[in-house]
Amino acid sequence: MVSAGVNDDRDATQRLRARRRGAWSLALWGVVGLGALLLLLAKSVQNSSEFGRLQPWILLLNIAGVLTLTVLLVRKLWQLVRDYRNHVPGSRLTARTVIIFGSLVVAPLLIVYLSSLEFLNRGIDSWFRVEVRQGLKDALVLSRAALDLRVEECARRTELLARSLGARSGVEIQTRLDEERRATAASEIVLFGDHERILTASLDNPLAGVPIAPPADLVRRVNDHRPYVSLEPQANGRYLIRIGAPLGASPDSPEDRYVMAVYPVPTQLAALSDAVQRSYSQYGNLAALRQPLKYSFSLTLTLVLLLAMLAACYGAIFSAQRLARPVQDLIAGTRAVGKGDFDTRLPLPSRDEMGFLVHSFNDMTKRLRRAHEEATRSQQAVERERERLAIILARLSTGVLAVDRTLTVRMANEAAGAILGTDLSAATGRSLPELSASNERLGQFVAALAVRFARGREEWREQLDLEGGPTHGTLARRNLMCACTQLPGEEGDRGYVIVFDDITTLLQAQRDAAWGEVARRLAHEIKNPLTPIQLSAERLRRRLLASMAPRDAEILERATHTIVQQVESMQQMVNAFSEYARAPEMRVSRFSLNQLVTEVAELYRSQDPRAAIHLSLDERLESIEADRGRVRQILNNLVTNALEALEGAAQPRLEIATRLESGAEEGQYAAMSVCDNGPGFQRELLGRVFDPYVTSKPKGTGLGLAIVKKIVEEHGGRIDAENRPEGGALVRVLLPVVDSTRKAAGARDRREQLRRERA
Amino acid sequence: MPRRFSPPERSPARSRPSLIRLACALLLALTGTLALANALDGVLQVGSAYVNFDHGVIQLYARVQYPLNPAIREALQDGVTLTFDLEARVDRVRHLWFDANVVDLTLRRELAYHVVTDRFVVRDVRSGEQKSFDTLKEALAYLGKVDNWPILVEPQLDGGRYIISVRAGVRRGKLPASLRALLFWTDDWQRVSKWYSWSLPV
Repeated sequence: MVSAGVNDDRDATQRLRARRRGAWSLALWGVVGLGALLLLLAKSVQNSSEFGRLQPWILLLNIAGVLTLTVLLVRKLWQLVRDYRNHVPGSRLTARTVIIFGSLVVAPLLIVYLSSLEFLNRGIDSWFRVEVRQGLKDALVLSRAALDLRVEECARRTELLARSLGARSGVEIQTRLDEERRATAASEIVLFGDHERILTASLDNPLAGVPIAPPADLVRRVNDHRPYVSLEPQANGRYLIRIGAPLGASPDSPEDRYVMAVYPVPTQLAALSDAVQRSYSQYGNLAALRQPLKYSFSLTLTLVLLLAMLAACYGAIFSAQRLARPVQDLIAGTRAVGKGDFDTRLPLPSRDEMGFLVHSFNDMTKRLRRAHEEATRSQQAVERERERLAIILARLSTGVLAVDRTLTVRMANEAAGAILGTDLSAATGRSLPELSASNERLGQFVAALAVRFARGREEWREQLDLEGGPTHGTLARRNLMCACTQLPGEEGDRGYVIVFDDITTLLQAQRDAAWGEVARRLAHEIKNPLTPIQLSAERLRRRLLASMAPRDAEILERATHTIVQQVESMQQMVNAFSEYARAPEMRVSRFSLNQLVTEVAELYRSQDPRAAIHLSLDERLESIEADRGRVRQILNNLVTNALEALEGAAQPRLEIATRLESGAEEGQYAAMSVCDNGPGFQRELLGRVFDPYVTSKPKGTGLGLAIVKKIVEEHGGRIDAENRPEGGALVRVLLPVVDSTRKAAGARDRREQLRRERA
Repeated sequence: MPRRFSPPERSPARSRPSLIRLACALLLALTGTLALANALDGVLQVGSAYVNFDHGVIQLYARVQYPLNPAIREALQDGVTLTFDLEARVDRVRHLWFDANVVDLTLRRELAYHVVTDRFVVRDVRSGEQKSFDTLKEALAYLGKVDNWPILVEPQLDGGRYIISVRAGVRRGKLPASLRALLFWTDDWQRVSKWYSWSLPV
């Protein structure tokens, strides 16, 4: 068991470690993803061409990160809300921790976010202040003014040149062009004729080749006799002033001619102008980015904030759940232990204070489990002892009844109920006076107990004689030998155990034995002198009667007659006693009880026509194994008693009935009942009607029913007498149908007698 | 005599397998940045294109129509520089697999307004050569006419079927890399035309 607990601990700890590894690997992947994102950003910033390629990936990573975190966070939040609603242990602690952590993280983040947003907007706006733009425009105007001066000067000189050339020709023109080019530092001065034909040219660098063709716009303008002025930017940051001026009409030259002069702008002025141009262009490019920059910064900042907030909230929930998990485990473990599950083992979360607490909890559950197992074993032992005792008590024929001071039943065995004539199987916890309300015998028993307890007697042993019971027959009288002992226990909670035995049968057997001895002695001691007394009285009469005087003879005659009569009467009585005492060998044969009953009834009907004898015979009762003569005697005695009881009755009625009965253990019985509508038994004699010399008749010997009972018991049967509710007496005889049944019943009775003697 | 090959068919723009671009477009739509003003609205298309074989060199001729509207003019006059890209691809068709790219060239030029001289300057980014124009219309006309652009030499063709694709693009150029990193999702100054494709018989 202990090793199983250790294995449980190991499994739980391994599961916890696996969870930790999962969390660490997740965090590692997160860090790797973040690192990759930063690397991509760094590469893209350093190299713009790389950026174009990486841009979608960066965006994808960001959005994927936000989506992943959102999904994880929603899942965690949903789980948290569900646990909170279901009152899952630890959910409130987790929720509080999450709120605190979240507030601590989100509030500063929001403040930083809003401040950064404001700072960015203001910073970007400050880049494009009106003063900067105005300064640039002023510089531009200045540059243009300086260049315009130069352009105008060049244009003026070129127009003067064109006018001066109109009247010249040939070599003079070439000379004039060269002079002018040198004087004005022009790079080239070209004289064009019709169709852009070069008439003559003066070049600063003749090795550069043929002068370039004039622009189409220049040609159009000079053809319209208008000057052309152009300032052209060059790739190397320099500027060229291109002037076109038509020559006046000349008689020497019929075609339209014009001069195109190209002047370089001085280097310093060009550099300054180019700087202004670059600044203006850069400013324009940046100014165009003003709103997009704001959007971009805001979006980037929002994305970063979202990532940070989602990560922080998820981290807060994760950390809170991690912190609360050992507490949840402890609560769940405590509940499980409270419900009796002592196998609960919690995983060790760490080696800190919480780990110590969990370790202590596991140790406690181990000890509780051992204690519970020992208690269970003890309880099982007690239960086994109790069952053993219950079996012993159930098998006991002695009644055992445990009550407390208020006579409330604590325990009663089956024999107690059987002896007291009530069912005590469900009486535990009920009051005996309450149970005895419908049972006279139990009532007498309870009253006897109450009297003794009231007198303060706690230990006693006495015989209780109980009258009545469920049936008002002879067996209703019970003699109990009771012993009461106080049970050990605390004061006020002490009870009593009453052990009682039914000794009715034992006492009856003792009485029967005593009466048998009386009868035997009477038969032996009285019968012998009776014959000499009778003979002597008759001899006296014969010898003296003839010789006596008539008056004396009459006296003698009456005296001897009385002696003979009384002796005969005594003879009859002694014969009856002899009959009661003797135990001749039984002559068992199989005969029909119904036929025997019919014969006896017919005999009495023939002797006494007034006898209204009714028969109710069970056809199923075919034959029984018994001593036919003795069964006839039973019938004779019972019918005689009934007829004597019916003397003087208005409508005498005697009914003899037979019935086949089946006992659960004792085989089949022939039940024979004789009932009349006479006065019935006297109530005070009802319990002793089968005892010798118990009679209510003036002429009876009191041995008739005693003999009947003896014969019935010799057959292994039972007899009962009671008064019918509608009036009259009822005697009921049970005889075993088969002789083996009788033997078995006899053996059982002998065993019963032996057991009672030991008791 | 140089051989001239006109496009036998004008196929619709071919959608190349580009999950990244699709994802990018989707994400851009998600972020809602397309709601900003479209300064480059207007016609942007490759009107016609063909190639000539000239002594073993395949030269491209194209006519592109670029958008012209007051917003562009105003932006240029405010100092913004625009970049004009003409992208040419030659792919060898393969069965049951993606086409193999043989050539992928870009002719990149910049258009800026020279505020000191009040002229529009077109500059070739690669060679550094520049040319100035009095009007924006002249500058765009110059940009839209590409002649004798050598894109391929004959030894690069080894039989099979080839597809030539041309498209034009305009975007705001001259951005610092750091700013471009920030502006990648809000820069609406960026347009490309549909691909103009045709087969090249060898």
